Amino acid sequence: MERVKILGICCNWSPFACYNAAGMTGKKMPSNFRLIRVMCIGRINQALILKAFEFGADGVILLECKDEDCRYGPGPEVGHENVKRVRRILHLLGIKQERLVECTFGAHDKEELVRALWKFAGDIKAMGPVTITNGQRSEGLRR
Amino acid sequence: MIVDMALYQCLECGKCTASCPRRLTGKEYSPRLLAHKVIVEREDEAFIENAVWECLTCGMCRERCPSGVDFNRFILEMRTLLAEKKGLKGYRAHDGALHSWMRMMSSPDLMQNRLDWVDDSIQVASSGDVAFFTGCAPYFDIFFAGIEVDTLTIVRDSIRLLNFLDIKPFLLPNERCCGHDLLWTGDTENFEALCRQNYRSFKDAGVREIIVSCPECFHILGEHMPRIIPGFDLKVTLLLDLLQRELHKGGMAFRPFSRKVTFQDPCRLVRMIDRSSLLRELLGLIPEMKLVEMENSGRGALCCGNCGFINCDAYSKQIQVARLKEARATGADLLITACPKCMIHMTCTIRDKLRHGKIKMEIRDLVSVLADQIELFGG
Repeated sequence: MERVKILGICCNWSPFACYNAAGMTGKKMPSNFRLIRVMCIGRINQALILKAFEFGADGVILLECKDEDCRYGPGPEVGHENVKRVRRILHLLGIKQERLVECTFGAHDKEELVRALWKFAGDIKAMGPVTITNGQRSEGLRR
Repeated sequence: MIVDMALYQCLECGKCTASCPRRLTGKEYSPRLLAHKVIVEREDEAFIENAVWECLTCGMCRERCPSGVDFNRFILEMRTLLAEKKGLKGYRAHDGALHSWMRMMSSPDLMQNRLDWVDDSIQVASSGDVAFFTGCAPYFDIFFAGIEVDTLTIVRDSIRLLNFLDIKPFLLPNERCCGHDLLWTGDTENFEALCRQNYRSFKDAGVREIIVSCPECFHILGEHMPRIIPGFDLKVTLLLDLLQRELHKGGMAFRPFSRKVTFQDPCRLVRMIDRSSLLRELLGLIPEMKLVEMENSGRGALCCGNCGFINCDAYSKQIQVARLKEARATGADLLITACPKCMIHMTCTIRDKLRHGKIKMEIRDLVSVLADQIELFGG
């Protein structure tokens, strides 16, 4: 079976602290997982999530702080709203909505984070690659 | 290319620049200078490249040009050329989300769920040789939920009109974007892929005629698709054209609509294909409705500020504000337009909090107004 690609978009604060701690303690992560670290999930808009799929991701997981923990205020709420809308667009495109998930973590939830990643990796593996094959490979020079 | 678009005919009179909505709002952009540079100063590549991506493609310069320079097509071909050589440029509004889903739609194995919005208020057929082209409306309504854009209503009302004319159109379950925005932003590769896939799905479904209500889709299906597809043999009909023909046959009239309205002409519908008199004819058929034209109207109408979701910036906003001020100055309380994109861009500006509702206005599509008012003659 073709290998699936998973992208994690990770808030710099609680979730990244968990990810860091998990790495420090040598927890094994899915090998087909790539992480993008952003200052806050509120920074992510619908376009960036859609682009991930356009550029070949088979699943996208947003790793967010808990609503009340956001360092900036509305970050996770913005995340929830974006996920809600992008999921509906994915549905229109015939992409299973389960390919986009969001999870919230406190600063000490490293076990939960690793478990969430493995579960997501398993789910996406079961779903297989997406039907999107014709997106753009890079923003700049095409040939 | 310079010869093809009649660029050598340029007299450098500057009417293009003087009428360019981008220039009028203060942007450092000049179609005249671009033409000049392309002809005699081709080494200034940086300037040319920049300018080519700045244009809104509204077609005002071509309209005003006394020498018949086809500036729109020049921009289109230059973008295609530059995109192939140097990659896609130009600032994509909304971080390119719209272009992103349009490109994704060109995947061959795509199975969309785009018809969930169909309800009992309209009658559609599950097959047939007359199809209606929905366009990106289901996508827009989700993406622009934040500004409460409702373009699916235009689609529903279009189908209601067709139902009224005893036509039950077939809706393609896997119709793709017409590719207008990809073409005009230089992504010819994916645009052509979309064209071919759409054509194949029409053919596979046995469609012979496509009815379109969106001016941009009509512009693409009617003008550019035949260019891409050899042996293109589908009939592409603009809904408003069809309606005009049917109305001439008689037996239908409109209920009175006692409001003072004004009209925003979409560039694709009045300058690229000349339907400005058709639009006015249809508007004139509704009794008691008073149409007050804006300062700039018909073929000289001001752009809605953006095209192809590229280059939306502070100047675009200024164009939109200027346009809405013109609309308000007519004293009308309803702005009618005929393009979903005009509606999206205008709605976005109207909601600007800093304007404190000073440019607030109700916006409706012409199709919706017609669908609400039409009735059988005497009935």
